[in-house]
Amino acid sequence: MAAESARKFEALEAQAATLLETFRCGGYEQVAPSIIQPADVLLDQIGEVIRGRTYVFTDLSGEELCLRPDLTVPVSRLYLERHPRADAPARYCYNGPAFRFQPKGVSGTHPREFRQAGIECFGVADRDSADAEVVLLVADAVKSAGLKQFRFRFGDIALFYALLDALSLPERWRLKLRHYFWRPPAFHALLSRLAKGEAPNSDGPVAALAATLADKDKARAEELVADYLDRNALPLSGNRSLSEIAERLLDHGADLRSEPLPREVAAVIDYYLAVEASPREAIDRIAMIAKGAGIDLGPALYMLSRRFDLLQARGIDIGAASFATEFGRDLEYYSGLVFQIETGGDGTSPIAGGGRYDELLRSVGAPREVPAVGSAIHTERLLAAIEGES
Amino acid sequence: MAATFTIAVPSKGRLKDNAAALFERAGLALRKTGHERGYSGVMQGLDGVEVAFLSAAEIVHQLESGRVHMGVTGEDLIRETLPDVETSVEFLKPLGFGRADVVVAVPDCWIDVARMADLEDVAAQFARAHGRRLRVATKYLNLTRRFFAKAGVAGYRIVESVGATEGTPAAGTSELIVDITSTGTTLKANHLKVLEDGLILKSQAHLFAASGASWTDGALGLRDAILDRLSKAV
Repeated sequence: MAAESARKFEALEAQAATLLETFRCGGYEQVAPSIIQPADVLLDQIGEVIRGRTYVFTDLSGEELCLRPDLTVPVSRLYLERHPRADAPARYCYNGPAFRFQPKGVSGTHPREFRQAGIECFGVADRDSADAEVVLLVADAVKSAGLKQFRFRFGDIALFYALLDALSLPERWRLKLRHYFWRPPAFHALLSRLAKGEAPNSDGPVAALAATLADKDKARAEELVADYLDRNALPLSGNRSLSEIAERLLDHGADLRSEPLPREVAAVIDYYLAVEASPREAIDRIAMIAKGAGIDLGPALYMLSRRFDLLQARGIDIGAASFATEFGRDLEYYSGLVFQIETGGDGTSPIAGGGRYDELLRSVGAPREVPAVGSAIHTERLLAAIEGES
Repeated sequence: MAATFTIAVPSKGRLKDNAAALFERAGLALRKTGHERGYSGVMQGLDGVEVAFLSAAEIVHQLESGRVHMGVTGEDLIRETLPDVETSVEFLKPLGFGRADVVVAVPDCWIDVARMADLEDVAAQFARAHGRRLRVATKYLNLTRRFFAKAGVAGYRIVESVGATEGTPAAGTSELIVDITSTGTTLKANHLKVLEDGLILKSQAHLFAASGASWTDGALGLRDAILDRLSKAV
């Protein structure tokens, strides 16, 4: 902050006041979570890719800490401190610094210290209306700050999960595809490997063991694996249990015996992941893909469509927005609708972003799944965009 | 910017002994000046060269900043520490000692795991069963991140470990490790196995030149003389 001019500092402060005022009027209570966060919780959630960009340090007592790289996890932890049983709805807003190492050097659009203003909505069971509420409020906030021209980009993680559920797949492949969704290059490699029917590890003594397990039940498989480890003097270590090792060998065994993934099924997944259009057109195309494959996506597609109706009715220009099935694959904690607000350019420096993350709270300590949706504004970029318009 | 031509060599351990022997063979014996425990010296047989005895890790930083002209240190440290290796240093000569492979090793009881691709599957299963990511113990944070990213493995997190890394999976503080190995004996003794495609780097000691040092004609002459004599002795 030291390098900033007084004028920019004042402009950001004034803008933050406007954004927070809009959030508060929308029913969101202002909070200020700690800037210094325990590294453990955060890093287990965001993974090494963002860790590589997070300022992690050890304090004198030996505790591993970090400067928060964004505010969603800190605000989620704050919610749990106030509601340990995670049983009450809560709406929080904030404005404050976040910190990221910039591997390609610090610049105006990629500062290492930036201010995020945002909202998080917890525990509201009506997901459609909570999603719409957050999208609308963030749109109101950037408008109240003075931004005139912007458009939305949407995606929906839940729709992809619905597609996998509807396709006829062995459960072990479904779990795998869900996990690899977050690793796009590896996902495509996996899909083509399944479609070609190449079994992994198809030689050596372990493959032979896997083959003998194929028709055994879990308990018997564990016994056989335990025998194998004993005979070869391999003590258990590395925190994986016998049953975890046996389960993967059972999967190998099943892969060795099973037919490859039908090409039509792989093609449906590929077609689905290529959809990028205006939201209405995208929904039509996805419906056609589902119809062509003879599958029913259930309520997921209808719910997505309903959200766009709600947004359209409340003044969001859905016709000018875009929807991409691939969008949102880079932040693993999202679980439903994802969106960002873009001005010019290719969308790589969005003004704001957000989405639904129903699974995050349980993984930071909540005793149950908590519906959660939120959004954060990159305030320096917002200010630059507004100044660019005038 | 160094005023006098400076070469940094390791100040302790096997790297020090091997470097000293090599310079001796090359007719460039290193001699400490002043106190025996001091950190500077001269090169016999070549005037105008100051020798700085430093830790292998510190040599990397001195090369990066251009405060020394040349240095002897491990490729693993160079590739781990420098964000932009190619523009910071020049690899002049591999020296044939300090050999160590930086590898990915997992508990040998993980009989279902042979390759990097298996790791991501295990990470997914581990997250379902334990609610967290696989922990990789290592001091090579950057080498690990780059190698795992290239292999498409993302479901892990690093726990920094500066000593006795091989013991961490058995102690339960990590699930797998990235570490150096020369013969594999230590790994085996700790019930670890290297993944088939888990070789990150075949490292050895190199003679490096610092791109950012002050390269006068005189300095270039000394550099060529040292490189020439060392090359014949390697």
